Amino acid sequence: MSLYELSGVARYFQRGPTTVRALDDVSLEIEPGEFVALEGPSGSGKTTLLQILGALDRPSAGTVTFDGRDLVEQPDSALAELRLRSFGFVFQQFNLIPTLTALENVEAKLAPAGGTRERALELLAEVGLAERADHLPAHLSGGEQQRVAIARALSVEPRVVLADEPTGNLDSATGGEIIDLLANLAAEHGSTVIVATHDASLASRAPRRVAMRDGKLAGIVGAIPA
Amino acid sequence: MFYLRYLRNELVRRRTRTIVTLVGLGLGVALVVAIASLSKGLDRAQHKTLDPLAGIGTDLTVTLQPQQQQNGGFGGGNFGGPGGGGGGNRDLIQSNLSVLTDLSKLGKPGTHFVHDFFLPGTQLTFQQSAAQQIASLDGVQKATTGLTLLAEHQEGIVPKIVATLKTQAKTLTIQRNLPRPSAQDFAKMQACLQKLGVSIGRPQTQQNGGSGFGGGGSFGGGGTTRSADRSAFQKCLPASLRRFRTRVTTPSQTLKQVLNPPQTNISTTAYTIGGVDQTSPTMGVVTTAQVTKGTFLSPAGGKEALVATSYAAKHSLKVGSKLDLNGTTFTVVGVVSPPLGGQGADVYLPLKQLQTLANEKNLANVVLVHAKSSSDVAKVKQEIQAALPEAQVASSKDVADTISGSLVDASNLSHDLGLALSIVAAVAAFLLAALLALSSVGKRVRELGTLKALGWTQRMVVRQVAAESLATGILGGIVGIALGVAVAVAIDEFGPSLSASSSTGTDFANLGVSTVRTATRSVSLSAPVGITVLAIGFGLALLGGLIAGTAGALRAARLRPADALRQVE
Repeated sequence: MSLYELSGVARYFQRGPTTVRALDDVSLEIEPGEFVALEGPSGSGKTTLLQILGALDRPSAGTVTFDGRDLVEQPDSALAELRLRSFGFVFQQFNLIPTLTALENVEAKLAPAGGTRERALELLAEVGLAERADHLPAHLSGGEQQRVAIARALSVEPRVVLADEPTGNLDSATGGEIIDLLANLAAEHGSTVIVATHDASLASRAPRRVAMRDGKLAGIVGAIPA
Repeated sequence: MFYLRYLRNELVRRRTRTIVTLVGLGLGVALVVAIASLSKGLDRAQHKTLDPLAGIGTDLTVTLQPQQQQNGGFGGGNFGGPGGGGGGNRDLIQSNLSVLTDLSKLGKPGTHFVHDFFLPGTQLTFQQSAAQQIASLDGVQKATTGLTLLAEHQEGIVPKIVATLKTQAKTLTIQRNLPRPSAQDFAKMQACLQKLGVSIGRPQTQQNGGSGFGGGGSFGGGGTTRSADRSAFQKCLPASLRRFRTRVTTPSQTLKQVLNPPQTNISTTAYTIGGVDQTSPTMGVVTTAQVTKGTFLSPAGGKEALVATSYAAKHSLKVGSKLDLNGTTFTVVGVVSPPLGGQGADVYLPLKQLQTLANEKNLANVVLVHAKSSSDVAKVKQEIQAALPEAQVASSKDVADTISGSLVDASNLSHDLGLALSIVAAVAAFLLAALLALSSVGKRVRELGTLKALGWTQRMVVRQVAAESLATGILGGIVGIALGVAVAVAIDEFGPSLSASSSTGTDFANLGVSTVRTATRSVSLSAPVGITVLAIGFGLALLGGLIAGTAGALRAARLRPADALRQVE
């Protein structure tokens, strides 16, 4: 059984008098343990698709089945529970809580899930930031902040890590390191990774690349692993 | 606990916002606390100082005050006024005029004199028995008498100024009623006249012979030579009747007299003196409750005195000091802080002692009435009024209304303005806190969206935001209370003095005599901080925090996670 089954998913936004079709008739399957890149220019619908996959948003039409459950029918509380235990997010802007230290940022996800401080520290060690656990995000470099975000995303052993332009605010060398770290750790933790990016070189690292144009799927490169 | 650490970090690491909120809330709460304390202080001061009757265990005072109009009817009637004379006004003025020092009575010129004159002031005196009459009325628990007098203390050197007056000689004619001669005298006189050969007519009757002297008829009716008769009469008249008509010429005289001196060093100070029924320590012109130092007058009523705080300060009197009143030495046994208005005085003596000093034996000028229950006061007032139509019956409020001064103004102000100001301050603080909470949520939309992406439920986000505001409220309350208490302490320490004065009596302007008695009390402004005030302040801060928290939380709750994340900082 596929991890995700999307069928005819659409998402419309009302911008004044006009209706913007951010997503239009997207059908897609993603298997557990995959590393998928959603590729396309900005405005192509990558982020919207990622948010629907991460249960942050609901589609205007179509069905999204995750692990056999129809996300469209789940109440908000069930979606929150899914986000907490099954998904991990990594954002372009890192989205760390500015008043919390690196360690506390990891705890922000671990604590509601019942995780301990020690576990948070372990994860920081995995991303190589054990020594900077007590630093505030403002005192960390972009790469370090994104490592904290990766540690946070992986802290609850999620089924899926959803990364939205994770290297968009980093130089290419750091970006490469981050993608490698994400890919390796996800593999270690057994998490599926879905990365949205407009960077073709980054997307080329993914075994499967889903190209998007104007809210529609423009093509899939790479086979679904058997 | 992660959430508490998060809460603390939000407050500590967003220092500027926290401080602004705390200062805003704190100032609001402090203002409320300070105003409430001040208001309470003023109330307390007013209650203590301005509630003239409650402090002395009294509901009503009964006095006899002269009217401005010269209508008789005073002094008579039920009160059995002073000397029973009519025209109480004139009496009162007369009594008060006695202060015009009769220097001749003070001693020889050049000697130093000290004298206290006691004047009834504004209130007519009446027999003490009036109290029993009032006490027997229905609804009256107890009635005691007091005597409050205006005292003029004079001292200085008896002056000597001599004026020479020359009186004119005067001739005075004096007519005397002579005693009737007895029958024996008459017989003797008749015999004498007969011997001298003067014949007189028989007197009409022996019994009413006296009437015969009135006219010349009986005596002069003989008809013999008048001169011989006259000399015979002179001889024969009994000694007691011999000179019934006299003519006196006073000599011209030169008088030297000490006159009203224009230049003396006589100084006059006025104060009020109260006679207290020392056997009634809980109800009277002054009571044990007002004793701030020393003790109340002993029940025996010896030569003891109480002095009011202000008077004691002015004259450096303390417990144990001696007070000389016209040669009688009183020992100050206590310092009191009597309520203003009504019957408050500077010096208090046992009633009997004052009556003796002021020569007002068995007289009082106020009856203090304590009703059986406070609901009876109005009824008792009517009863007294009916029983004693000339009396003035004043309730606590009536007396309080006669008091004026900055304390009253401040108290009124604090009532009128204080509440409004408190409300404005509290509302302003609430608004500030709510706005800051809203703006804080506004600035943290992405952060809150991130929390939702991390799996935080709506409830958790709202709880966190609300808890932050609530914590801010609590801290703001603490800051505010600290500030408010500091202000209150500062007011206590450096607070300005307020004054209250009471004027009782009538200004007989048209008669040139004023019997207005003015007492002024200075009250140091205080702001006692009570538990209630603190609780109110804290409650307000909490409420402010809750309002702010709710505002912020509502806004946070409306965020959809995807929208929240879409927001760019």
